[in-house]
Amino acid sequence: MRIQVSRTGGFAGIERRAEVDTTGRPDAPEWHALAEQAVTAGRGAPSAGVPDGFSYEITVDGRTVYAADPRLTPEQRELISRVLKEGA
Amino acid sequence: MTTHGGFEPVFCTVVPPHVLDRLARNDDPALSGPARRTILRDSELRALRQVNTEYGLLAAPAAKAPSDQPLRTIYDAEHGTSLPGTEVRAEGQDPGRDATVNRAYSGLGATFDLYLKGYRRHSIDGDGLALDATVHYDEGYNNAFWNGEQMVFGDGDGEIFVDFTNSIDVIGHELTHGVTQYTANLTYNGQPGALNESMSDVFGSLIKQYSLGQTAAEADWLIGAGLLAPAVTGTALRSMKAPGTAYDDDVLGKDPQPATMDEYVRTGRDNGGVHINSGIPNHAFYLAATALGGYAWEKAGQIWYDVLTGGELGERAFFTDFAKLTVKAARERFGSGGEELQAVEKAWEQVGVRIL
Ligand SMILES: [Zn+2]
Repeated sequence: MRIQVSRTGGFAGIERRAEVDTTGRPDAPEWHALAEQAVTAGRGAPSAGVPDGFSYEITVDGRTVYAADPRLTPEQRELISRVLKEGA
Repeated sequence: MTTHGGFEPVFCTVVPPHVLDRLARNDDPALSGPARRTILRDSELRALRQVNTEYGLLAAPAAKAPSDQPLRTIYDAEHGTSLPGTEVRAEGQDPGRDATVNRAYSGLGATFDLYLKGYRRHSIDGDGLALDATVHYDEGYNNAFWNGEQMVFGDGDGEIFVDFTNSIDVIGHELTHGVTQYTANLTYNGQPGALNESMSDVFGSLIKQYSLGQTAAEADWLIGAGLLAPAVTGTALRSMKAPGTAYDDDVLGKDPQPATMDEYVRTGRDNGGVHINSGIPNHAFYLAATALGGYAWEKAGQIWYDVLTGGELGERAFFTDFAKLTVKAARERFGSGGEELQAVEKAWEQVGVRIL
């Protein structure tokens, strides 16, 4: 499973993107469960969000959903932070 | 309606209702007319009294002027994400041991001060709205935002950013999003969104200048100075003086802000580049303010404030709409022969925004 996260906006307006390929990873099932929950709770189109809030694009195996601070589900927050931290 | 030489007979409520009722049915309009009007008036008054009672309006004193003192509350999210978090400092309480809490508290105070003393505005809604801020939001959170009701500040990850309360202009920036929300309510997308961002940078910078007592010539015109971690190559996040020059770093990339319309960035990201193209109106403000000299909040700031709060700026205004209104405001406040009008016109011309 290929999980891509892109973060735009924010006070600084600096973009960040990263991705994780779970193929062959021992913790793949955990990633899959998290990604599935995050995508299910996502929106089909970007929303305006709040001033200076981060906007996120989460793409899992080619399917893209959108989310924005501060209204993220705990799973979305967890997935975004793990991908941006561990991903390349 | 007939008049009786300026005297309109009205039966007071001392006339029993059943008598009024009978009079109202009388064939003589001289009697039935006033009775009918009295019944109507009484029912209107009753309805009004009921509304007043239900909404507690009768008990309320005459409209109270908002206080000249802020009403601040600082909350601690304790690295979680639920808002507002635990209350850690209320208005009037002494500083505590947490420097972040203390900075947020005094930053809110400085913002309240500029709006009150500079523009006679009571808090962000102009009516004494309580100012709430949450600090220590999330873990290593590289951001600060306005959620429509309050400010939220992250601690930064220490690698790229440090504590977002470090820059007083960031605090002023977030609160000004509140002022904009209560006034022009500029749509947070594309050009109106970039204007919204620019208002926050302009007044964020003015709050810093006001609290330091700096003139336009002395100010650094930077947004977020002191926010970048030591390893980052840069001085701040944005420069109103020289947009595009605030940072140039391996990890962060280069400051993407344009200074003029020639370099306007068309993008769908960042709500249509709201943090990018704000460089253009930011630079126009800088040019007008430095041309006029002295304290920037007094002339250029006053003109910008007049436009933001004057009621003519539309929610979907473009740069050119805003520019035209600043020219109008400069003329109205300082006269058509003044240096203010000239400085404002020249500033927009220099950044390539047409005002014709
Ligand atoms: Zn902003």
